[in-house]
Amino acid sequence: MHIPDGILPASVCLGGYVTAGAATWYSLRKIGRKEDPREGVPKASLLTAAFFVASWIHIPVPPASVHLVLNGLLGVVLGYYAFPAVLIGLFFQAVMFQHGGLSTLGVNATIMGIPALLAYYLFQLRNVVSKNNRVATTVFGFLAGAGGMGIGVFAAMVLLVTTVPAHVDAAAERASIYALTFAHIPLMVLEGVFTALVVLFLQRVKPDMLGENDKTSA
Amino acid sequence: MKVKLLTTVLVLCFFLSVPAVASAHGAKISCETKKAIEITATYDSGEPLSGGQVTIYAPDDPSTPWRKAKCDENGKYIFIPDPSKPGTWDIQVRQAGHGDMIHIPVGEDMTVGASGSTGYTPLQIILMGACVVWGFIGTALFFSVRRGR
Repeated sequence: MHIPDGILPASVCLGGYVTAGAATWYSLRKIGRKEDPREGVPKASLLTAAFFVASWIHIPVPPASVHLVLNGLLGVVLGYYAFPAVLIGLFFQAVMFQHGGLSTLGVNATIMGIPALLAYYLFQLRNVVSKNNRVATTVFGFLAGAGGMGIGVFAAMVLLVTTVPAHVDAAAERASIYALTFAHIPLMVLEGVFTALVVLFLQRVKPDMLGENDKTSA
Repeated sequence: MKVKLLTTVLVLCFFLSVPAVASAHGAKISCETKKAIEITATYDSGEPLSGGQVTIYAPDDPSTPWRKAKCDENGKYIFIPDPSKPGTWDIQVRQAGHGDMIHIPVGEDMTVGASGSTGYTPLQIILMGACVVWGFIGTALFFSVRRGR
């Protein structure tokens, strides 16, 4: 899911930085409107560490191996802090381990960070049912976790399929992209279950971490 | 009768004594030693990019592929660079949106220099990862303490 350097054309990489810049600006603006913007920094920092480490947990699914992303979980727990957290995590992954790339940092942040924000909005829909309903928390936690990753994988697939360069055997490349996309389906379920378990646990022991008492300054 | 038999034997002997010319069906194998470059493409997890698409760019034209091929099932591919094109050869391997490019300097005498790949040992990776994680934890602790005051 981390697109490395040299795979996408320069125009797409540039477009990725534009969308990532816009999403960062939007997120920071929303964070800045909170009563205490620093309040969410400790949990955002810890979950950035979790996001950073999650990419090392590989699950072998032919033709490649897939790894945990946890962008849905970040969205659910961090809200608007999720996008900067994803961006910082991806930066360190690219710089330290060449996982992803600096030229594709914007694209990767977009395809993982924006689904994280969508997962946050999706999880907030549980308030329509009831804030303290365990079933609603479980269902929306699962949907947010699985959906966050699913949307990201789908976005990566569309980007890769539409930008296969001319010098590559397009049919073979597209076939392997589709195969890799389908290989992420079990991982989506896994991330959905993991997110549901985490939000259930947080609702029981520390419900304010799920944005129960979010305050924004006027 | 004897004369007829002798004539037949002589004719037969003549045809059998003519050496068979088989050049049209001949085969010849020659060999020479050359320096080749073997690349191995793997995912981060160590699994090979079996069937990965290899694109090689020669030093004199880094925008047009010099050769296109595929890795074997172990993610390996061997090629012999053109001796008349010394310089940095760029080799890209790609599969399912994953891939990497390696830059191999090849001298005029076909000596291969150190490639640009950065291979860390598992211990180095763990240490580097631990440093980054500790940085995040430190940030969390810093902001927690400020909030507590």
